[in-house]
Formats: sequence, C-alpha cells, structure tokens
Amino acid sequence: MDQSPETFRGIVERHQGRVFSIAFRILGESGVAEEVAQDVFLLLYRHLPRLASEEHVTAWVRRVACHRATDALRRRAARGDAAAEEYQDGMALRPVVRDMAPLMNRVEQLLLTLPPQQRAVMLMRYQEDLEPEDIAVEMKMPLATVRSYLQRGVKMLRAKAERTLKEYSRG
Amino acid sequence: MVEKMDDFERELKEQLQAREVPAGFTERVMARVPEQRVSSWKWVGFGMPAWRWAVAALLVAGMVAGGVEHDRQQRIAGARAREQVLLALRITGSSLRDVQQKVSRGDR
Repeated sequence: MDQSPETFRGIVERHQGRVFSIAFRILGESGVAEEVAQDVFLLLYRHLPRLASEEHVTAWVRRVACHRATDALRRRAARGDAAAEEYQDGMALRPVVRDMAPLMNRVEQLLLTLPPQQRAVMLMRYQEDLEPEDIAVEMKMPLATVRSYLQRGVKMLRAKAERTLKEYSRG
Repeated sequence: MVEKMDDFERELKEQLQAREVPAGFTERVMARVPEQRVSSWKWVGFGMPAWRWAVAALLVAGMVAGGVEHDRQQRIAGARAREQVLLALRITGSSLRDVQQKVSRGDR
C-alpha cells in the first residue's frame, strides 16, 4: 500500500479505535495506551509498502498492538508498577483498578485481572470477533492454548463478575 | 468453524466494542509522520544520505579489491622474473663449467 498522507490518514481513522482499545484494555491506562497506539501507527507507516491489502493491515495492527501493549506492560512490571501486576491478584479487584472505574466499564476492569497474554487472546475473541483458529494463526499460538485461555478466561470473568455483583448488592 | 457464544460471552462482546480514541489522536499521529519520513531517508552523517554511503562503500570495496588483485599480479610477475634469472644463471654456470673443462683439457 502506498505511503501518501491521504491513504495513511484513512488507515489511521479506520483502525485507531481498534488499536487504542487493544492497548487500553491490556494496559488499563489511557495515556500509555495512546503512546503505544501512536507508536503502532508510526511503525505501520514504515511497513505500509510491504502490506498488500486492507486485510493485511488489519491483521498487522491487531498483532503489533497486542505485542506492543504487552511489552509496555512488561516494562512497567519490571519497574514495579502495581497496576501492571494486577493480574497476579487472583480474585479481588485491587483499589488501583477501582480507581480507574470512571474511565473503564466493569468488563474492562475485570479483564485487567487476567494475565496479559490471556487478556490479549480474550480481546481478539470478544473485541475483534475472531474465531479461535484465527487467533492461533494471528498470535502464533497453538490452538489448544488459545482455547484453554478462552475457556479459563470466561470462567474466571464469570466468577469475578458474580462475586463483584454480590459485593455491590450487599453494599 | 464458527463457535457459538453463550449469554455471558455475548455480554462480553457487547462491552468490548472498540472505544473512542482521545480527541485529536489522528492529528497527533499525522504530526509525527514527517519525522518518520525524514528518518526513513536518514542522513547517516557528514551530509550524505544512506544510498550515497552505499555507493561510496561499493567504490571503496572495488578499489581495495583492484589494489589487492594488482598486488597479486605484481607478485606473480616478480616470481616469474626471479625464476628466469635463476634459470639463466644455472645455464650460464653450466656453460662456464663446460668451457672451463675444455680449457683444462686443452692445457694438457
């Protein structure tokens, strides 16, 4: 695809929601998510001549957004950022996630309690509407791993959703 | 194969629709593109772009290879000349010995 400003602007406008959502839902923070999303698009700009079609662009931005966001999360975890390690909290939502409530919906908060790789797979399935087979191809993962992430992810989110609903109704 | 979703999964899907990006996101990305364009034509240093450095490197490599080949040819030519001189000396030596023997026989 060509690198003309018009073409690139169109691509950014078509994919920015997808890229920003992936980054935001993996990182849980709007500012860092925007930085990651911008980097993804600048990298895409350099790769455009190697991408033959819109489908390639879509697959490319999904994959790179996931990788970049999980890398950023890893860097934050290495710096000892508490929010980055939220997923290690088995059951309850920590206050740091509760503090994000005005910015996030309930499912996004629950999603942050899953391990990053599993978050990415859940997003590919429920945000991007990909079938497990396609997720396995796009994320270069065994299909059995993808299925296991999805089954366990849904089970955990369901359990957490029920628990937080009970806590909420108890006041 | 399309896998069916239950109610909870459909709810997940509903809640995980793409988010709105922060206002001005597109402009901020586009504003950074010219930097990328310049950097893709990166000036490596000393006022020359990368492709000129590549051409210069090829020329230098060609000159070095030419120099090495010239040196090798010179060495071969030198070795040949040395062999010829040695051969000539051997021939001269044996001729001198023949003459000396003849002279010695004549004296007797």
